Amino acid sequence: MAARNLVYVLTGIAVGMIVIIGGLVFALSLGGGDDDGNGGSSNNSPSSSVGPRQKGELRLFGGDPITLDPACASDADSATYIVEIFSGLVTYDNNLKLIGDIADHWEVSTDGLKYTFHLRTNVLFHDGSRRVTADDFKYSMERAVNPDTQSDTGDVYLGDLAGVDEYITGDATEVSGIKAVDPNTLELTLKAPDAVFLEKLTYPTAFVVDKNQVKTFGCFDSGWTLKANGTGPFKLAEWSLGARIVLEPSENFYLTPKPSLSKVTYLIAGGSSYTMYQNDELDVTGIGSINIDSVLDPSNPLNKDYHTSDNLDVFYIGFNVKKSPLDDPDVRKALAMAIDKDFLASDLLKGLTEPANGIIPPAMPGYNEALKGIKFDPTAARALLDSTGKRDELSKLKLLTSGQGAAPNDVIDAIIAMWDQNLGVKIEIQQEDFGLFLTDLRDSNQELYSLGWIADYPDPQNFLEINFRSNSGNNQSGYSNPQVDALFDQADAEQDPQHRLELYQQAEQMIVNDEPWIPLYHQKASYLVKPNIQGFEVPPFVIPFLRFVTFTD
Amino acid sequence: MAPGLASYVLRRLAVVPIVLFVVSFATFTLGRFAPSDYVQMQAGSRANPETIERIREERGLNDPVYEQYGRYVWHALQGDFGTSVKPRGVPVSDVIFPRLWVTVQINLLALVFSWLIGIPLGTLAALKRGTWLDPFAIGTFLLFASVPVLVSVPLLQWFFVLKLHLLPSGGWSDASFFGVDLGIFSARAVLPVLVLTLAGVASLARYMRAQVLEVLDQDFVRTAHAKGLRGDVVVVRHVLRNAMLPIVTIFGFELAGLIGGSIFVETLLGIPGMGLLFYESVTARNYDVMMAIVLLGTTIFVFAMLVVDIAYGFIDPRVRLGGAG
Repeated sequence: MAARNLVYVLTGIAVGMIVIIGGLVFALSLGGGDDDGNGGSSNNSPSSSVGPRQKGELRLFGGDPITLDPACASDADSATYIVEIFSGLVTYDNNLKLIGDIADHWEVSTDGLKYTFHLRTNVLFHDGSRRVTADDFKYSMERAVNPDTQSDTGDVYLGDLAGVDEYITGDATEVSGIKAVDPNTLELTLKAPDAVFLEKLTYPTAFVVDKNQVKTFGCFDSGWTLKANGTGPFKLAEWSLGARIVLEPSENFYLTPKPSLSKVTYLIAGGSSYTMYQNDELDVTGIGSINIDSVLDPSNPLNKDYHTSDNLDVFYIGFNVKKSPLDDPDVRKALAMAIDKDFLASDLLKGLTEPANGIIPPAMPGYNEALKGIKFDPTAARALLDSTGKRDELSKLKLLTSGQGAAPNDVIDAIIAMWDQNLGVKIEIQQEDFGLFLTDLRDSNQELYSLGWIADYPDPQNFLEINFRSNSGNNQSGYSNPQVDALFDQADAEQDPQHRLELYQQAEQMIVNDEPWIPLYHQKASYLVKPNIQGFEVPPFVIPFLRFVTFTD
Repeated sequence: MAPGLASYVLRRLAVVPIVLFVVSFATFTLGRFAPSDYVQMQAGSRANPETIERIREERGLNDPVYEQYGRYVWHALQGDFGTSVKPRGVPVSDVIFPRLWVTVQINLLALVFSWLIGIPLGTLAALKRGTWLDPFAIGTFLLFASVPVLVSVPLLQWFFVLKLHLLPSGGWSDASFFGVDLGIFSARAVLPVLVLTLAGVASLARYMRAQVLEVLDQDFVRTAHAKGLRGDVVVVRHVLRNAMLPIVTIFGFELAGLIGGSIFVETLLGIPGMGLLFYESVTARNYDVMMAIVLLGTTIFVFAMLVVDIAYGFIDPRVRLGGAG
């Protein structure tokens, strides 16, 4: 009896599987024409299942923002929306050239301390209620650095201004370095010359907000941004929490080209963007290592939609250089020489990345092609480690990564295996929740760690000084080299841009020689864009670019 | 009977605040003892450590946990359950209720379908015991229940979306009727409801089958047959009525479970529901949202259980509430 029942249960399961597989085969035979037939999913009318799309509507996949308050955002997800909705004095165009935004033009005094901005006179807030004046900038910037606002970016991006410190401590009621000379003229004075001050002003912290709307709201009360009234190329039409963000072009926008899209819809609830793209529910999707093989296959119709662009980032293994045996540069070099970066970049990450020679990514001004990086050489690596006699000590260490779930990423697994194979060193992986990871880095509790750095603006200062200056708050490796610090000081004061970049190249070479990091790879943005869209190029860092996107049909 | 019932309900209700206190205190404490906090995590690595420390201090995150908890309870008693920190500055109710409503719509429909299939299926399996139909029917739905959603969702997407072009691959519709958001009336709701229904049928059917078999063995069923009643009358009037009793308990649990979303289904299908919200509120240290979800869930669970117990007394007079009373 029992045996017979088992037979029936198995038959049931078998029939269930036949139903599933049969259905799939049926579907294949039905849908087979699509795959080898016409180009791409936009032509085979799946739209019956999706509903009509508004003409000129761009449908994107987006991250869930923390806030849309320019003074407060420090994450890329939030900034992505903010730069389209709000605007500041200066910005980047789609060739990454720094251009005037609300500021029409400006002069810098010869000592590099005083910036005089002449504002456009035709800039209105989205609601059309009034025009933006120098007073609005004074208000917005002072709000960003006001301690009551509780912004964590205010002092980072605007801390160069004269009088900010006195304002923060309460010794002054206004920032003396921000002066509204008249409604059309804003004068900013710095404490010391800063070669990247204008670059810092492209970040949302320095953007203008509508004081009638913001009133006394601090960063953690920024619910007003659900109805944000900005000055950027697009206005916020809808923010349905956790579900979607909808932008519409601003008729008041003052730069050319004005936005040509009729609407931009971001889906922020997640889902399978690759499937959505194939079914014509999205106009753009990112491509990860799961789908890259299929997309790169020339017989795949999606292959025509494939685009890549350079990112300004670097992913690396960091060392806590204050902990033995990682305080020994030879130990660090041996570990670096034992890693086959070409294998990681091409075989494992399938061309989605480029192996990193140094720290500065190739698309960055000041990238040094002649930089002498540390090359993969397993034999020399083993000999070098032998000469230090620290193999056993090294094998007790842990590599800290951030993340959840059973499997850390393939790259880390491969590196651990390379160290084991090439050096006989067994290093353990320690995976931590992001919060704990940050705390451990802050308190220097880590030994080895894996992390990435993404540019805030295209300047080597943003990579090198922030991560390697002895007293930098973000110097997690604890690296300290007085010669490097001296080069940084020189570069900060240097007025000649070309010489300044050379100073950074020297500093980068010294840092790479000391190897407080093993730079692993630079990522590329890899994505699919529908063929009827022009000008959609993912920028290497967060800048407004949707106004350059057009539909060709 | 009525006074007994009233005092029973009162006694049960008296326990509610204690349950809420224990659950909220445990959640609050665990949340605050988790490493880092939202100020630190949102600031990212560029921020000035002193600035972060100042903001933490000002926001009371450095105070002893019991003090923070006291403050939370004091505000909650006045009806202020705090504000979200992702997105920032939005009252927790505005964050939670739209997503709760999405999850309830999906779960409710899936619940109805799985009952409509599961109860007849279980009954049929029991009545056909000894034939091939019984293990076959149960086996088929066991397969559906055993395939993890991580496998079934992409498979269904591929089948219905990419091959048949019948359904959209995910997302949630913004359809509304008379000002009420009813995204459930959209093709976008089909996949999530299908996945949850297929997964829910088997356990219900197996439970129903066991109940029916137990009742079929009872003397009164034999008596009914002996009296010469028609087979279907015996099944409907005697067997099903009795077999359904314990199932009511499951229904209570499932009602309470309506507000719990599936992280995987929501993530794979891009549905702004509760599963993802709760997961994210924990990882983002969105304390107030986390607390509100737990308190809401506890309250609904406690009341659902109470309703089940009372309903039980009405359906089955043999169960006497209030014990010796």
